[in-house]
Amino acid sequence: MQREQATGVAVELAGQAPIIGGVGNSTFDLVPFDRPRNFYMWNSMGMASSIGLGLAIARPDLRVIVLDGDGSILLNLSSLATEIASGVSNLVHVIWDNGGWEITGGQPAGSPFGVDLAAIARGCGFPHTATVSDLDAFRAAFAEAMAATEPWAIVGKIAPGDSPHRPPKSCLALRDRFMAALLRGAI
Amino acid sequence: MTGTISLKRSGRHAAADAPPWARTVLDCFRAEQIRHLVFLPDTVMGRLLALAETDPFFRLTGVHREEEAVGILAGLFMGGQRGAMLVQSSGLGNTLNALGSLAMAYRLPFPLLVSLRGELGEFNPAQLHMGRAVPGCLDALGIQHVTLRTTTDLETILSGAIKTCYTAEEPFGILLSAQLTGWKPEK
Repeated sequence: MQREQATGVAVELAGQAPIIGGVGNSTFDLVPFDRPRNFYMWNSMGMASSIGLGLAIARPDLRVIVLDGDGSILLNLSSLATEIASGVSNLVHVIWDNGGWEITGGQPAGSPFGVDLAAIARGCGFPHTATVSDLDAFRAAFAEAMAATEPWAIVGKIAPGDSPHRPPKSCLALRDRFMAALLRGAI
Repeated sequence: MTGTISLKRSGRHAAADAPPWARTVLDCFRAEQIRHLVFLPDTVMGRLLALAETDPFFRLTGVHREEEAVGILAGLFMGGQRGAMLVQSSGLGNTLNALGSLAMAYRLPFPLLVSLRGELGEFNPAQLHMGRAVPGCLDALGIQHVTLRTTTDLETILSGAIKTCYTAEEPFGILLSAQLTGWKPEK
């Protein structure tokens, strides 16, 4: 499964749901599917899951999607426990698993050594998890997660490879566009 | 599990034992619609949280590593809600990259309450260095801060700090000295 293709499926099924892109490739491959309710993070590795949680608390009327990387969530594993302990029900946490830190040269991390991120999510109390490795399975799991009323974690096994895309560099403009879209209902 | 967690988040502390400074802090937060208290507790914050938990206005969200709080507060703010971070000086050390690359870069404001260890009345040698580094760390990041030492002018300083925080759209450090909060009797 290619990250960019799978990201396209997530955006297609997102409806009005805001999407938080994790640092690096998770954000970069969201750029071709640009919409005002996409939030692009330029640094702060690991923070996508926490931003998504804050937004999920603030906006219980929406499902909130996090597109995270395996390296990123390994940096902020405690956020999986916080997502559950906070009691939110509207979070869909996708973790792209390519087995390492892709953008820095493909150094292996996590799954090549036997780390099972879906098992960690289950251990943190996620009532629904899935590990998928092809686009059809991702589409099915993601659609189920979006229709649910409980938190979901989906580990998407993706092929290695860096994204060629980049978002604009004004963090303030990215923030303002995202906030305005959430406020006025534009997707 | 959705939204039904009802464990007492503030632990064993009793609201009746909350010190006057904690009451003033919460009054100032309430006046500015700062509803979300995102915390990793220490004894000082525990007493404030016990009081906050008696007021349905406040929502307490415990994190498991302080850096998470920066992301959660970012998501809350972008979702239209205000919150404050409540951590100990040791925990501020765990937040520095997120403060720089998320809160400052994207202009995401929140009061940053830090209870200071390592300054007055410290018994623990391992608390000295991070505690005394707090003002320097905030200065290095360009984050404005005040240190509260007595109850004199507390409301003025707090409400002024909060107002500036949201005008600047940046975190504002509010450092709680042990002169105000008391220190542990341990030798």
